[in-house]
Amino acid sequence: MSTESSSTVARVLKPTILILIAIVAISSRLFSIIRFESVIHEFDPWFNYRTTQHLVKNGFYDFWNWFDEKSWYPLGRVVGGTVYPGIMVTSALIHNVLHFFNFPVDIRNVCVFLAPMFSGLTAFSAYLLTKELKDSSAGLLAAAFLGVAPGYISRSVAGSYDNEGIAIFLLVFTFYLWIKAVKTGSAFFGLLTALFYFYMVSAWGGYVFITNLVPLHAFTLLLMGRFSNRLYVSYSTFYAIGTLLSMQIPFVGFQPTRTSEHMAALGVFGLIQLYAFAELVRGYIPPKQFKTLLKGGVAAVAVISAVGLTLLSFSGVIAPFTGRFYSLYDTGYAKIHIPIIASVSEHQPTAWTSFFFDLQMLIFLFPAGVYLCFKELKDEHVFIILYSVFASYFAGVMVRLMLTLTPVVCVSAAIAYSTLLDTYLETSEHVLASTNSAIVATPAPAVIDTPTVAIPEAKAAGKKAAAKAAAAAAAAAKSNEADAKTHAKSISAASGEKKRFPIFNLDSRLLVILQLTWFLFMFAWHCTYVTSGSYSSPSIVLASRQHDGSQMIIDDFREAYYWLRKNTKEDAKVMSWWDYGYQMAGMANVTTLVDNNTWNNTHIATVGKAMSTSEEVSYKVLRQHDVDYVLILFGGVIGYSGDDINKFLWMIRIAEGVYPNDVKETNFFTPRGEYKVDHDATKTMRESLMYKMSYYRFAELYGGGNAVDHVRNARMPAEGPTLSVLEEAYTTENWLVRIYKVKDLDNLGRDLKDSTAFDKGRVRKVSSLKKK
Amino acid sequence: MAVISRTLFLTLLLALVAFLSASSSTSSFIAHAQPQNDNDALLQKKVSRLEAKASKNKGVIQLDSLAFEDVMAKPRNYSMVVLFTAISPEFNCVPCLNFDPEYKMVAAGWSKLANKSQLFFSILDFKAGQAIFQKFGMNSAPSVLYFPASSSISGNPSQDRYDFGKSGFQAESFAAWLHARSGVKIKVQRPFDFMGLAVKVLGTFTAVFAVIVFARKGHKIFASKYFWSTISMIIIFVMISGHMWNQIRNPPYSMPTQQGRSGFIANGFQNQFGLETQIIAVLYSLLTGASIGLIAVVPRIESPVGQRAAVWVCMGMFTFVFSILIQVFKMKNPGYPFTLMFR
Repeated sequence: MSTESSSTVARVLKPTILILIAIVAISSRLFSIIRFESVIHEFDPWFNYRTTQHLVKNGFYDFWNWFDEKSWYPLGRVVGGTVYPGIMVTSALIHNVLHFFNFPVDIRNVCVFLAPMFSGLTAFSAYLLTKELKDSSAGLLAAAFLGVAPGYISRSVAGSYDNEGIAIFLLVFTFYLWIKAVKTGSAFFGLLTALFYFYMVSAWGGYVFITNLVPLHAFTLLLMGRFSNRLYVSYSTFYAIGTLLSMQIPFVGFQPTRTSEHMAALGVFGLIQLYAFAELVRGYIPPKQFKTLLKGGVAAVAVISAVGLTLLSFSGVIAPFTGRFYSLYDTGYAKIHIPIIASVSEHQPTAWTSFFFDLQMLIFLFPAGVYLCFKELKDEHVFIILYSVFASYFAGVMVRLMLTLTPVVCVSAAIAYSTLLDTYLETSEHVLASTNSAIVATPAPAVIDTPTVAIPEAKAAGKKAAAKAAAAAAAAAKSNEADAKTHAKSISAASGEKKRFPIFNLDSRLLVILQLTWFLFMFAWHCTYVTSGSYSSPSIVLASRQHDGSQMIIDDFREAYYWLRKNTKEDAKVMSWWDYGYQMAGMANVTTLVDNNTWNNTHIATVGKAMSTSEEVSYKVLRQHDVDYVLILFGGVIGYSGDDINKFLWMIRIAEGVYPNDVKETNFFTPRGEYKVDHDATKTMRESLMYKMSYYRFAELYGGGNAVDHVRNARMPAEGPTLSVLEEAYTTENWLVRIYKVKDLDNLGRDLKDSTAFDKGRVRKVSSLKKK
Repeated sequence: MAVISRTLFLTLLLALVAFLSASSSTSSFIAHAQPQNDNDALLQKKVSRLEAKASKNKGVIQLDSLAFEDVMAKPRNYSMVVLFTAISPEFNCVPCLNFDPEYKMVAAGWSKLANKSQLFFSILDFKAGQAIFQKFGMNSAPSVLYFPASSSISGNPSQDRYDFGKSGFQAESFAAWLHARSGVKIKVQRPFDFMGLAVKVLGTFTAVFAVIVFARKGHKIFASKYFWSTISMIIIFVMISGHMWNQIRNPPYSMPTQQGRSGFIANGFQNQFGLETQIIAVLYSLLTGASIGLIAVVPRIESPVGQRAAVWVCMGMFTFVFSILIQVFKMKNPGYPFTLMFR
């Protein structure tokens, strides 16, 4: 087969493979749709969905200025200024374009399918990125890996309508554009990088990763003595335009000039200007004077910037790191100072099992890819190395940052994997030709490789040459003369050491290729298994297996929210723990006190206080906040472990942080330091509103005896708690959600406890009279 | 390196603790049961005895069951802090060992204060005081209880307990907790860290030496990509094997093997031991090493026979270690359906 025809075949095959990868990526994210229905998942997506609905209905300007009085009652929330609007605008745009062409697609379906659609694009950008690093076959592998890797699927299944769904595409694509910009030195690609950076800023708070990684790359290249006009053009374009654009997002505002997270980018921008200026001056001044000038200049700049930075940070112009970011450096910080951050499960550190679960064999091919990057070590490989090291650190600290690690793992593993395939598939002429060209094409870096060939003479000679060359390179890298010398030396050294041979035996080739193919199969099975089993449950509809193996759908959440929507007055205020705020606003359309946007710790603590104190104390709080209903989750009947009693400790802890006099964590523990709900429960525990609401009439369900809480495996007292300031309004089929109505003040001005007791007494009296 | 130093440290600590407990537990004191009408005199005697005891042992009184009852018995004008612990090696109570020096530090800080008769620090080891452990329904160690001067131990055991989960094992937070109860502020003075000093001095010398060498050799090492690739690879391996989790959660290094369950792989998907992550790091580096071998080493081998052997060795190791890894993962996640070489 001639090379021409094979390249034609490749030209047809590549797009076909890419399209197939996109189809696989999309369809493996549809498990939840097939099993349940097209429904928005979890918590945050419900807020995004609600705002998208608002955007589609009322237009962009109304959305931008939207003050949402239905959340954080009575404070409200300025939605336009406190969201990353990227995902909403994207789906509204798709919706409007489709409607323009008369495709009457419901906005909900646009939202549900947005993340899978973007995963196809992510796979494509992984292809582009890897192509820049190695070649297109590695690119195809990277696309396939990223398309199905569970680490990315976890946040992008159909219905998971969250920022990360589009942000990972933007992350990978921005990095691709940046590498392209550095490689070509074109302002055009720098501009494109800035534009996509802007899109990323508008979509996800994780943009800070780009803001720090790209300058770090530029800085590292400077340190390596690889400053070039290409780098200068691309970085200056990216930083100037990107920063100006990012400041257009109201939620970001002036942060790029004022917070520590963004200072690195600014610093590198300044440094690169100075460096370029020094390079310029060098051309006009004799070397000796330049040296003096350089020394003075460096000292002056260092002093000025040190003093300036200290002054600015002490005067408060530059804000210190925000807690969320700071907890990435000082890992113990959040637990002590910000319990609300520590309480979120996705902010927990990552056990090794999660790495393997999310990436399977990629996780150990990943370091091999990094090793290969070190072997090549062009500018773009430096980027991948930096990305790998920092992303693996961040992923270790926080489970959710697995998401930023996954792309680089896929890219790097694809490089390793495709190099393996290259080595064991290619015919001998190819290997020899490519190695020869590699030797000629790699100048200085090849010097540093120590030889592994066991020919003593060549080794000694090579080492000597290498040492000489390295010394020469270090001494005067800029001088042309020395450069040429180094080059010559390196080639001589390299050709002496690096002799590569083809794989001689067919059985070795077959062994490796077959095994690797088998591992690919295993990887695909693993990904499907993980996606289907762990990452495809919408968490608002639960599925369980009954004894006979048939599936039982538990739809209590929607049942309860629908009840609220249909049976409460329009401006009813419903109190619940913040986890359910977004869902209630989205599905029940009621006013909530707190929600998943945890911007006001005091307000959350107030809700925590109302939940964890006795009825009398709590009633005051409830009345002060005009609460009509209280909603809680209770899993004791069906064994749903994510219920409010299990979250109760966090409520207590957060409440104690603000109201240390009213709530004390120790009072909820038995003397033996246990967290109990049964007979051993402490008095404070038994009197807390949460406990009472959870177990109210629970024992009746079991006919008076042997009431067992299936989550905590606790045998409950036969005599359940009584309620006087609340009355039960609704309890769902499986008791998963319980809604209580807050009683109005008593007509006769009595204490509610007394009036309840009185009512009960009268009922008893009447019944006893009837008996007589 | 870290492993070695850690084990060394543990061993040293164990030896120290064993020495301390051996030297102090032999001499327990029993009250002379003489009926005396004069409570004050009795009290005076008891206090002075306790003081003598405490001053002999840097402010800490070692108790056993009898001594505990005696110290707690009713006329009492002093408060007690009791550390319920189990530092014998057979209990393998890592938190006990961790907290022991911190507790003693606070006690030592206390003994330097002026009026010591208000409060006594004591340690009740499980070996010496099983009866008391049972009496208080203790089923975990360490626990610290605070008995104010007025309290009696006869009734319910709902004593004031130090919460390790919330406040941590640091001497400073323990001192703060005591401060809230006794009203006396104890200054914690960490003992002079000779080991740390030695490390620092050694480190400085190494650094100076390194700088001199670098200055001579012209930044050869910092310019070497081997240096940087080694560092990067180490960081990556450490991170992907879950080391940060250990850093934040402080799990035990390993557990004694029980009933066929190996003691170095923790139960449960979201739980791990220190040793476990090291095993995983080794497995990962073997796998990565095998693939790098296939990529970089095999094509350099000139003889066909040697090359074939290298391919088979690398691929065999790859498959074998991968199967082990999957097997270990299956231990953590029993429902995992895939296997490679082993069933």
